[in-house]
Amino acid sequence: MSGGDAAVTKPVPVPDELTAPFWEAANRGVLAIQHCTACERYVHPPEAVCPDCQASELTFREVSGRARLYTHTIVRDNVTQGFAEDEPYVIGIIELVEQERLVLVANVVGVAPEDVRIGMPLRVTFERLTDEIALPQFTPDEGD
Amino acid sequence: MASELSGRAAIVGLGYSKLERRSPRPLAHFAREAAEAAVADAGLTIDDIDGLGTIPNIAAYGNTGDLEGIDIVTVPNMVRMLGREHGIRWHVQTPGLCPDTIMAAAAAVASGACTYALVWRAVNVPKGRYSDFSMAQARGEHQFRAPYGFTMPAAWQSVALRKYMHDHGSTREDMAAFVVQNRENTQLNPKAYWCGTPLTVEDYLEAPMVADPFCLYDCDIPVDGCVAVLLASAERARDLRQPPAYITGYAQTTWPTRGGFTDSENMWEGGAALGEKLWASAGMGPDDIDVAMLYDGFSIFLYVWLEALGFVGRGEAASYIASGATALDGELPLNTSGCSLGEGRLHGMAQISEAVLQVTGRAGARQIEGAAHTVATVGAGTLASGGLIFSREARA
Ligand SMILES: [Zn+2]
Repeated sequence: MSGGDAAVTKPVPVPDELTAPFWEAANRGVLAIQHCTACERYVHPPEAVCPDCQASELTFREVSGRARLYTHTIVRDNVTQGFAEDEPYVIGIIELVEQERLVLVANVVGVAPEDVRIGMPLRVTFERLTDEIALPQFTPDEGD
Repeated sequence: MASELSGRAAIVGLGYSKLERRSPRPLAHFAREAAEAAVADAGLTIDDIDGLGTIPNIAAYGNTGDLEGIDIVTVPNMVRMLGREHGIRWHVQTPGLCPDTIMAAAAAVASGACTYALVWRAVNVPKGRYSDFSMAQARGEHQFRAPYGFTMPAAWQSVALRKYMHDHGSTREDMAAFVVQNRENTQLNPKAYWCGTPLTVEDYLEAPMVADPFCLYDCDIPVDGCVAVLLASAERARDLRQPPAYITGYAQTTWPTRGGFTDSENMWEGGAALGEKLWASAGMGPDDIDVAMLYDGFSIFLYVWLEALGFVGRGEAASYIASGATALDGELPLNTSGCSLGEGRLHGMAQISEAVLQVTGRAGARQIEGAAHTVATVGAGTLASGGLIFSREARA
């Protein structure tokens, strides 16, 4: 995705106590998702306490980066700064293969918006925003 | 077995300001207009009011303002405008959506904490584009959405409509049937923003896409305005000017929005959890309801609420609406005033007010004959959602 007007950047994530390991891994080109030691379920976005079993022991675990498209929208009238040049762009709700309804938001890139389909296989790719931040994005997975 | 609060409080007065768009008048003037109208509707005077409640946050998302009297109207501001510095015994400000505040006020008048509680919701159309997001940094919950351009509520909810269409085989034509029916209802509501502006199926299908599959008419119409309701105990309510709308059921959500509007199943799960509490609090079920006012800030919410509250089964809402069952002459008249899509973005007060008018026989040309129980829901099933059941009699 191109940057558009140089003076107006896209919003850049600010890691915090809960999310720093996610962004630190992404910066190394690794998709790591918070994982509950007690019930072995993944949690995203990261939480202080496991929403499934209420345990507080949560770590980050590298995942395969493989996913299916859960659902999506095609934005044609955007209000987010830095995105005007990208219209229309696809926002995907990405369901990781590791767990049912383990979803995260990403742009679906490398495919025309009209060819995006619910259920299509996807794999993670990374878009560098700054020296510290690389965004996980998803692109069609053409197979093994 | 209904809740002990069921039937012990009522809405006894209703007031509207004019609904405009980008008015040069400060929002405070709209709020005072609605407050005075609600008090007069009940046959009372400002000096009778000893309780105040509001939702003091803006109705938009993004980098909009929060200037007192312009973007928001708080309790202290209303106290000053009404000259009630000495008279207010109870007040509350609950960020979120109006059912929370109305429930607090119902408990206050039922318990005697105050006698007459005025609850208002004032909303405006912010300057610039609605829901502009112009922040260079994405903190907190924004960090997993904003960097992807996923900042607009219409986009958050449009993903749910696409999944619904995919899972249940519904079409944009099905949604057009609802939106057009809703706009027809709106023509019978003189205070509605879209009254006087009909809409056809073709208008809907050819409208500009905002976040595909949402077009312009899947989104409610932002307005500047205020709606106020006046609450009293059931005992007091009997002696006032208007027939009371007894609050016989209520529920607040406790369902988290995990991932922040990414997994739309949360809306159905949260709505169903809320529905269980709502029906239990009233000792009623969906079959007892004569008219339903379900939140329609975005069109998809109609499907959520119809299914989550058990009016129809999962995946059946689109075909149920298309069958005509929710028209004014159908078995479950739905959003008879046009609500948020037709009357205006009043963050749930359109639902509350029409549920009150229908159950008290005051809905004019769109009155559903013999409406004894009405329901109003506000929100998306999760996050600040709430529901209220109104009845013509204090006991079900
Ligand atoms: Zn756990």
